Amino acid sequence: MKYFPLIWAALRRKPTRTVVTFLSVTVAFTLFGLMIGLNATMDLMEQRAHADRIWSLARFETTGLPITVARQIAELPGIQKNSVMTYLQGYVGDPKNRAFVIFFDDKYGDIFPDQVPPQQADLIRHNRTAVIMNRAAAEALHKKVGDRFTIISPRTNRADGSKNWPLTIAGIYDDIPQFPGPMISGNYEYYDKSVPLSEQGKINEVDSLATDPALAPALAERIDSLFANSGNPTRSQTEKQLYSQGFGDIDAEALTRKIALIGLLMIVLLTANVIAQSVRERLGEFATLKTFGFSTTGLAGLVMAEAAFPCLLGALFGIALAKWLAVHLSTIMPPGTGIPAPTMTSAVFLWGLACASALTLASTLLPIMRLSRLDVAAALSRYA
Amino acid sequence: MNAIRQIAVVSLLNFKTLPQRFWQSLVIVAGMACVSGVLLSLLSVTEGMERAYRSTGDPRSIIIVSHGSDREDNSSVPRDQTRIIMNAPGIARASDGSALADSGFVTGIPVQSKKNGATVSARLITFGKMGVALRPSFHLVAGRMFRPGIHELIVGEVAQSKFKGIVVGNKVTMPDGQWPIVGMFATGDLLDGVLVGDTETVLQAMRHNSYNTVIARLTSSEAFPAFRMMLTHNPVLTVDVMRLSEWNARIGADNAAFFHALIYGVSIILAIGAMFGCFNTMYAAVEMRGREIATLMALGYGSFAIALSVILEASALSITGSLIGALTAWHLYDGVQSGMGWDFFRLTVSPAMFGMAVSWAIAVAILGGSLPSLRAARWTVAEALRAR
Repeated sequence: MKYFPLIWAALRRKPTRTVVTFLSVTVAFTLFGLMIGLNATMDLMEQRAHADRIWSLARFETTGLPITVARQIAELPGIQKNSVMTYLQGYVGDPKNRAFVIFFDDKYGDIFPDQVPPQQADLIRHNRTAVIMNRAAAEALHKKVGDRFTIISPRTNRADGSKNWPLTIAGIYDDIPQFPGPMISGNYEYYDKSVPLSEQGKINEVDSLATDPALAPALAERIDSLFANSGNPTRSQTEKQLYSQGFGDIDAEALTRKIALIGLLMIVLLTANVIAQSVRERLGEFATLKTFGFSTTGLAGLVMAEAAFPCLLGALFGIALAKWLAVHLSTIMPPGTGIPAPTMTSAVFLWGLACASALTLASTLLPIMRLSRLDVAAALSRYA
Repeated sequence: MNAIRQIAVVSLLNFKTLPQRFWQSLVIVAGMACVSGVLLSLLSVTEGMERAYRSTGDPRSIIIVSHGSDREDNSSVPRDQTRIIMNAPGIARASDGSALADSGFVTGIPVQSKKNGATVSARLITFGKMGVALRPSFHLVAGRMFRPGIHELIVGEVAQSKFKGIVVGNKVTMPDGQWPIVGMFATGDLLDGVLVGDTETVLQAMRHNSYNTVIARLTSSEAFPAFRMMLTHNPVLTVDVMRLSEWNARIGADNAAFFHALIYGVSIILAIGAMFGCFNTMYAAVEMRGREIATLMALGYGSFAIALSVILEASALSITGSLIGALTAWHLYDGVQSGMGWDFFRLTVSPAMFGMAVSWAIAVAILGGSLPSLRAARWTVAEALRAR
């Protein structure tokens, strides 16, 4: 603490430089926070995926499944209960305003209490044309509770030959982080009674709860082998398996880490230069300190403290800014992109702190080496 | 003329003293290299995808989908409607007099990815009688064509390289049994990533009764507006009619829009960082060269020439960095085979993207260099000579 005035004087010597260094570190760590935060979200989604939930879809997507499949699955030993759902793809008003509705049965709330709040699921139980949606969907469609709207489904015909699905919004709930993007849910009975007779009793998905999560992967295989040679082959996976598969060819987690790293590499050159320059300009000063009896370690400490100030503070501000942005990102980004919001877990802060310390070390390494070899006489005479 | 000569002389002096400021100048070069490297690497994905969607381009080729659909798999054209469409005047005729139009179906079949063994969905599309005639770039590379009415498939060149066991001679599990793959084809576009079967045979296997799309060739490109008017005004039909090129370009742009928000967001944050770097470097350079600038001023050089020379130096460094980044992105990613969902394409770093990298560099140099350049211009001779 005794040397604080010394460090402060060094920082104030070129205020513009200090401020700009601080700002650029802030920017780099904002990016770092957003990227590593996104990474944390993906990890969280994987962690929060339920190991005991089995999703069964038709092996061939266009065929769909008859609802009897759900009953047969429910009878398998090890399956507690299950729920069925079907999807409706369409748009509201203009084809650009896409809408995707899942219609589920009464048991859905028991299987997915984390995906849709149970009291919300109750709202559509007894009201056939009611739907509930998350905030992302409500914002994308500019709707509020009580609003009526019509979804037009180019692909799905109703029994009366039309493609219009009138719906009423019974509830809007807050977005749930592990299910990003707009979500609209309706009553399966409504869907089923609306489609032509030949299409009734068809579903897209059966979601089952296993009594023992450890047995769930085997149960999923069991389900598939049960229907393998039937007219309705299935494809089942536990939710855990599904979420750990990643996003196809592009490794999103590696990509976010790479971008965060590039941001830091870019900034290390700048801070290193600033510190080197600052030390070079004050070689005489350091020589004087050395004459007073400052050890090389003491001088190194001074230089490091001078670098740590913009680096650590910048990192802190940057990650705080990223945290603020993460909350407001959904309102900045175009609605309905489905990009999950970054999560600022304590791990993100710790990584930020570690990287900021590494940044401090990396940018002071060369100047400190220079100071340790400083020839007092030469430095002072040049200064004079 | 004099002003230009002044700028040239002062700038030349700047560049000659650049080696003295090597490490500082590197901040701008490396910073901008990072920005354009990241920007172009990420854009190579969307550019590659959009390019693949744009590549089909016969202006006479059209597609008919159900009204309001934005994807083929989101469209459904019933049988009775396809008959009306195919008999519509304006569609070109094949040598045997039948209409050059084909109704098609798209679906997905589960296959194993070669990359990580995960079960993924491969796209299966179908050809009717005119399927091949409507796709001039289609040619068989190995084996033979599937026979209509028989349980057989053919596979695209890229699909064969991406999926486990999907090769000529092997069998694919379909809902009603094992279908042999009898041939491999190439088209040079997105079709290379799919499997193809006979429309009616696949529809039957998938227990489906309506098509997704109708593809047709018109007698001439000019016939399109009238043809579209006729179909969209027919009360029996509920369809959209589009040029195939337009339809594809729209899907490509739609897919890319999702990523563009992310890519530009990340790159702009990086560019702000680079801009601060540029500011810092140029500011230090101006301060270091105070005496030199004062001498120039005393010799009669104008402050405008001095200010501009600072911006020019920043731009030169920034553009150099930007080109290094762009070249790195190009070297690493241009032409690399990649995929997104069930589209397979080559990543692309185009010359236009190099232009974009350079314009970003200039923007960063101007934004980051303007304050230091003003500082340089505002220096009075006495003050500058006293500096340091």
